[in-house]
Amino acid sequence: MALGTLELTPATSPPASGPKKRRTSLGGVLIWIVLTLLIIAPVMCFILLAVSPRIFSQGSQWFTFTFIRQAFAGYSGRAIFNSFWVATVVSLFAVAIATTIAWLVHRTNILGRRFWTIAMWLLLMMPTWMMTLGWTDLLQPFGAAKALGINTHFIYGEFFGPTGIIVVLIAAALPFAYFVVSAGLQGLGPEYEDAARIHGAGWRRTFQTILPIIAPAILSAFAISFAETLSDFGVAFTLGYHSHFPLATYTLFSAISNFPANFSVAAVIAAVLILMVIPPILLQSRVMRSRSYAVLSGRTRAPRRREFRPLARIVATLGVAFVFFVTLGVPILGAVVGSFVENLGIFSTTGIHWTLTYYSQVFHPNISGKALGAPLLLSNQLGFFVATGTGVLAVILARRLIASPGSWSQRITDIFLLGSVAIPGVVLGVGYIFFYNLPFITNNVANIYKTLPLLMLALIANAVPGQTRFMAGPVSQIQPSLAEAARVHGASRFRAWSATSLPLMSRVLLWGWLLTFTKTLSELAISQILYPPSQEPAPVAIQSYLSGFESGTGTAMTVLMLLEMLGVIVIALAIYRVATPKGWRRIGWTGAQT
Amino acid sequence: MSTKGAGVSLDRLSKEFGEKLALNEVSLEVEPGSFLVLLGPSGSGKTTLLRCLAGIERPSSGSISIDGRLVVGGKTFVAPDKRHLAMVFQDYALWPHLTVRKNVAFPLASTALAKSDREKRCDDLLERVGIGHLADRYPNQLSGGEQQRVALARALAADVGLILFDEPLSNLDADRREQLRIEIATLTREAGATAVYITHDQSEAFALADQIGVLNHGRLIQLDTPENIYAKPTNSFVARFTGVAGEFPVDVVRATAAGHHEVVLPFASGHVLRASTSNGALPDGKVSLFVRSVGVSLSAPANDEGIGGVIRDVAFNGHGYDHVVDVGDGFSLTKIFSNLRFDRGRNVKVCFEPSSCFVMDASREVPAT
Repeated sequence: MALGTLELTPATSPPASGPKKRRTSLGGVLIWIVLTLLIIAPVMCFILLAVSPRIFSQGSQWFTFTFIRQAFAGYSGRAIFNSFWVATVVSLFAVAIATTIAWLVHRTNILGRRFWTIAMWLLLMMPTWMMTLGWTDLLQPFGAAKALGINTHFIYGEFFGPTGIIVVLIAAALPFAYFVVSAGLQGLGPEYEDAARIHGAGWRRTFQTILPIIAPAILSAFAISFAETLSDFGVAFTLGYHSHFPLATYTLFSAISNFPANFSVAAVIAAVLILMVIPPILLQSRVMRSRSYAVLSGRTRAPRRREFRPLARIVATLGVAFVFFVTLGVPILGAVVGSFVENLGIFSTTGIHWTLTYYSQVFHPNISGKALGAPLLLSNQLGFFVATGTGVLAVILARRLIASPGSWSQRITDIFLLGSVAIPGVVLGVGYIFFYNLPFITNNVANIYKTLPLLMLALIANAVPGQTRFMAGPVSQIQPSLAEAARVHGASRFRAWSATSLPLMSRVLLWGWLLTFTKTLSELAISQILYPPSQEPAPVAIQSYLSGFESGTGTAMTVLMLLEMLGVIVIALAIYRVATPKGWRRIGWTGAQT
Repeated sequence: MSTKGAGVSLDRLSKEFGEKLALNEVSLEVEPGSFLVLLGPSGSGKTTLLRCLAGIERPSSGSISIDGRLVVGGKTFVAPDKRHLAMVFQDYALWPHLTVRKNVAFPLASTALAKSDREKRCDDLLERVGIGHLADRYPNQLSGGEQQRVALARALAADVGLILFDEPLSNLDADRREQLRIEIATLTREAGATAVYITHDQSEAFALADQIGVLNHGRLIQLDTPENIYAKPTNSFVARFTGVAGEFPVDVVRATAAGHHEVVLPFASGHVLRASTSNGALPDGKVSLFVRSVGVSLSAPANDEGIGGVIRDVAFNGHGYDHVVDVGDGFSLTKIFSNLRFDRGRNVKVCFEPSSCFVMDASREVPAT
């Protein structure tokens, strides 16, 4: 129902009939116009270059398959294959680990449950370029580990290869999978667990029984992990390049940045990346088609936690702690230590020299006009507007996704959005350069080339697909009858949405907003390509330090930016706690036992 | 409570879901202040009809008027919040983030009542449904019965002319069903509101209704008082769905008086039984005989009257015994009540009350779509 409407409450929209169909088409058209301007047109412009380079004056052929052959041959062909199998392995591990942690945090009495969720957020907001920076700072000869008196020589060789790439990418994909599965677990009432237990299942079998029930959440987690891993640029650019293990996003980047640039081969790789996410999407939609998982309602009771015995509790807690130590602790340790060591990576007979110089240089730089203040302020402004705009659009799209499960429209939207998750930022950035610099667009639609609004639109376009999928699971759990009851009892469409759906979605909306905000703050690829002259966002400013001779200052800036992100999350959660009614915060609350 | 019930009129209401015709030209009138129960099995269209009335579903064709005002028909479609009605949902549809009091107060927000009056009204209603002490709890802290009481209080809060009930008792245990059924009947009638209530439970329908509409495959089969539905079913489906002790193919001997026929029972050779008919003249040859359990009595085998049978099963029901009786040739009668217990395997005599026996020609009924 309400497939094409712009309403946020499908349950309150008029059902199908003549007049409704007209509204549906109008809503659908509006949505697709927005998506076309945001994603489809810029990306298609770029991808068209794969077979028709002349269309944007990038070659002489109007139509050719030459570049497809080139892309699948040699180095770039190996990169595409590597990306596929690495993304598959990473997603499987990420979903398995994330599901286990989500279950331990939400359904057992392990220690530090709140802390682990915060740790997952820290992991989520860490850009992969910073993760690899931390690992490199730590493991390199005469690096941070050496400064701490630890010999890591034996790991070094392993880390700079597929193993290290997979470990870092699992760490990057873990939070995506975790939050999707957590949302499914939190909305799942205890009835299924109770039924399994009553019918003789032990804890293991109960877990196996519940697992298929939250299969859509798990498959969503797999799909989003797969897509995020495929589109990651930070690891490919650093670890992949240094360990001679090519990944598709790096070969795409090098095809664009090498001289002469080969935009057409890059376009083929971009298309392949998008096509590769279709199999997991089909698998997920196949499961979604046959089942309804609308489980969040007034009748949903809070689940009981499994009470581990003391020893098992400590073992489980240590297991989770180990995962976070490897994924989060090690890179942070590397980066933080690296930001305090003056002669990092340099052999010295006088030992390690600790310093605060880099932090001093963050606000009093050696390079004129390169202080962090103005770029960080700009990134915060961008983050606010991008997160807000993305949130609105993502809610609308998430409702479209769940409004009519199994329909062609839903499947197309679903495949399109997940395909869009896999679009690397660099592709989107280049696509925006092409599309929004076309004379037709600058003269008739919007003349925003080389402006902040263009950067903002690109960042929204980059965030919307992932954010929509992030919200689709929780949104699908709200029983339609809740909004129907509001309408029947005199509430207008807006009031039905604001009084029933909004409170139930508020926590997800908040986390979604924070997710987009933090990711925007640290986004590099699009910012690097589209920032207007003399208006550098923070990641671009930091990168200019990291890639130059001031890497210590860049690392210190990165640490400060992480602290700022953490501060924003803490403040936002505090505001939510103070400003919202108690009932809003009860959704998914696990203490409600009767 | 000052509500005056709203009359409801449905004219040739149809609803299609793709290829499936969920409602097929249903027309009916509901008197203001009356209690209509729509009775039917799963898939009969009763929920669709209720949702069309509520405005949650838009009919494919036909019209609906509530209190004389056209709410659906032609290009008119009045939104649910403008129809001035209330609804009790099967799954309660209580908002989990609102306390019981706030759930009940929700419909009052759009009224002109002062805040203090709203709170007083909520508290009064909660007291009336017996959960005044739970006002500050959240829905997931309540039992199923308590949640449904909240839903009932919410429906009564707005003081509307029409209240819809979507199988509100189906998720409750027998004891709570009975209690809540009585409260629904009492409070709705006290409020003066018109009620449209759907259920698949015939005993619930008979207990609550001023009128019952029996639906099957999207068609309204019969609309009548509970007494007439039971005593004069116009259709074999209605007879079956409202409870029969047995159904047998019989031969018509002759018509004896208006609406009565003599038929030959298949299991008691030569035994002629008088039965009524309510769906017109009967053809020669085979027709169907439906027997209500209330019209069958058991007696000792020495009794001169009746046909012979053997007790297959007996069950105590609290105030007497329900029996299953084999009457020969593979035929049996179920739920035959007696104050006396007849043990399994015992021979009995079975007597039929003609007013509880109907003969119908099912072959002439309109086939279900």
